[in-house]
Amino acid sequence: MKMIFIALKDLTRSFRSVFAVVFMFIIPILVTAMFYVMFGGMKDDDSGFSVPRTEVVIVNLDVGGADFSATMSQFPPEADVQSMGDLIVYVLQDEAFNDLLHITLMDSAGAARLAVDQGEAGVALIIPADLSSTFSELEEQAVLEFYQDPTLTFGPAVVRSILNQFLDGLSGTKIALNLAIAERGSSDPAFIGQIVEAWLENSSLAQDPLALLAVQAPAAEETPEIPLMLRIIGPIMGGMMIFYAYYTGTASAETLLAEEELGTLQRLFSTPTRQSAILGGKLIAVLITVTIQIAVLLLFGALVFNIHWGGVVSILLFSVGTIVSASAFGVFVNSFMKNTKQGGILFGGVLTISGMIGMMPIFTFSSPSDTISKISLIVPQGWAVRGLFQSMQGAATHDLLLTALVLLGWSAAFFVIGLWRFQKRYA
Amino acid sequence: MSEPNAIEVLDLHKSFGSLRAVDGVSFTIQPGEIFSLLGPNGAGKTTTISMLSCLLRPDKGDARIMGHSISTDPMGVKSVLGIVPQEIALYHDLSARENLSFWGRMYGLRGPALKTRVDEVLEIIGLTDRARDRVSKYSGGMKRRVNIGVALLHKPRIIYMDEPTVGIDPQSRRSILDNVVLLKDQGMTVLYTTHYMEEAQELSDHIAIMDSGKVIAQGTHEELVKIVGQADRITLTVNASSQAVLDAWKSIQGVQRVFPEDGSIIVLAQDGNRVLPRLFEEASAGNIRITSVAVQEPNLEAVFLHLTGKALRDQPA
Repeated sequence: MKMIFIALKDLTRSFRSVFAVVFMFIIPILVTAMFYVMFGGMKDDDSGFSVPRTEVVIVNLDVGGADFSATMSQFPPEADVQSMGDLIVYVLQDEAFNDLLHITLMDSAGAARLAVDQGEAGVALIIPADLSSTFSELEEQAVLEFYQDPTLTFGPAVVRSILNQFLDGLSGTKIALNLAIAERGSSDPAFIGQIVEAWLENSSLAQDPLALLAVQAPAAEETPEIPLMLRIIGPIMGGMMIFYAYYTGTASAETLLAEEELGTLQRLFSTPTRQSAILGGKLIAVLITVTIQIAVLLLFGALVFNIHWGGVVSILLFSVGTIVSASAFGVFVNSFMKNTKQGGILFGGVLTISGMIGMMPIFTFSSPSDTISKISLIVPQGWAVRGLFQSMQGAATHDLLLTALVLLGWSAAFFVIGLWRFQKRYA
Repeated sequence: MSEPNAIEVLDLHKSFGSLRAVDGVSFTIQPGEIFSLLGPNGAGKTTTISMLSCLLRPDKGDARIMGHSISTDPMGVKSVLGIVPQEIALYHDLSARENLSFWGRMYGLRGPALKTRVDEVLEIIGLTDRARDRVSKYSGGMKRRVNIGVALLHKPRIIYMDEPTVGIDPQSRRSILDNVVLLKDQGMTVLYTTHYMEEAQELSDHIAIMDSGKVIAQGTHEELVKIVGQADRITLTVNASSQAVLDAWKSIQGVQRVFPEDGSIIVLAQDGNRVLPRLFEEASAGNIRITSVAVQEPNLEAVFLHLTGKALRDQPA
């Protein structure tokens, strides 16, 4: 019972500390919110958490060309594609991009640039008159003008990426076409039409225009129901949660040293209370503190940022592993400190470095390399991140169980060493 | 059958590396008395108290607290003790009531009994009105009172007070000393450590003087003073030495001894105030001018000086 009283006392003191509360809750939420705003989440009216639509103004000056005209039969009648410029407009207007782009057609390049300058549009795309006519000319190049609002990053990058993908494919076709013309010695429009047709059939454009965004959304086919930004914000908030959970575990365990300096630990030892009850009570407080932190941040992420953390069993396994390992890590690290003055080295060095190593997969977003993932596993935070990813990606329970068991293994080692050192110290 | 000793200390030893902090300390304290350990900083008082509180294991020797051995029955010892540590050992972010409630629970108090006792202790230490304020908002004296209050919660039979008046204002100091006497009146045994000679003199039934880890003398105040005799000690400085004047001083009725020491002349007399005018008269007659004079009645300071050759005050920490 005394163990519980000691834990309750420690919890009361922890949650009365403004510093502790800021570190436990405010900073992880603020960092996540900062990323959220950086990715433009505040601009979305409906879900509130998807990438904002970019206003795109297109001036299609392309007058077409005989070579390209031969390919017109390849497009659906409603497409009204008469030139390469029309094809670009047709692609960008595809409904698949409706959530990302809002296309407005204009006649004047000057008016389009003015729209960007006045903030009415994020991007102006000016398609030159000779785009189609130079299609079969290897020596000649048409230049598309991409005029963007310099204060925007994400929206213009999306448009540029679509265009790059589209034009890269087109360039390859152009090279192939010119080689074929040189070999055959003829620039028969019908022949050109066959090559373009082959390109269209082989490209994913006809089937899935979103494939042009593959660089931005490589996992789109696997988790189509999760908006792009959430796939960024989720891991960031999860990462912050793990990073600061280990801080909290260590800071809470540091109360042992703080009480030693305050004289209250000696006073506790002078009461008829067993040492195991004193150390046990303090450990319970650490565990409960980290549990409250994880629970609050998980709930906050789910309710405010709409983050899908995973299934109940998965998230439980991840949480238990993280809570226990963060607490044990705190006890372990503190057992090597002589006093709280060494806390600066601890927080600035051990925790930050190990935290950053563990967080490496987070900042490669959804496609961490194998090497980065493996390096991150040299610290317990890396295993917690692994558990988080597994839970969020709906991994099989036995995979998560394995991760949780590894975390518990780390915890057991940390607890045993930490407790042994503290018991020896206070013997 | 006679009542057993409250505390019986038998040949305690404790070393830290090559430093012998406590070197064969033995003493006995009767139930209901105030016993002071008097000595300069570093004399070994706190180490002795720490061993008697079961916070440190003695290298050698033992002590029995109300019959419980500190070596074999530490929980028994702790249950009969209340300890007032030298430093304020409280949670500054909790209120006085919260502190007292927590420490009460650590001594096994629960429920209504705990609440009642916390109220009583708040009354004793005079902080009922400020009970809900956080300790961090208290003055140094108020914190000291809470520090003492914690030790009273479980109505212990023995209280250790380790230099409880260090660094506090005279008013709070007076209040603490009055409380110590009050505890004795309630039948508690008090083991009090201090380096203030006046406190030991005022409070104690028995005093043990410690220096360099050893008890160098112990007894009642009167018994200790007898070590240096009953004479007042008059320290004089003069502008020139004159054997004739010294001889004249020795012949004054009531003067026991006259001898030089460290550039001054020491006169031991049965009643300093009575012989002082005669000392001036004889000096004047011999054309010697007395430039300073100090009269010290027989006290523990003199005892310490006599036993160790150094002053009790101003010892290096």
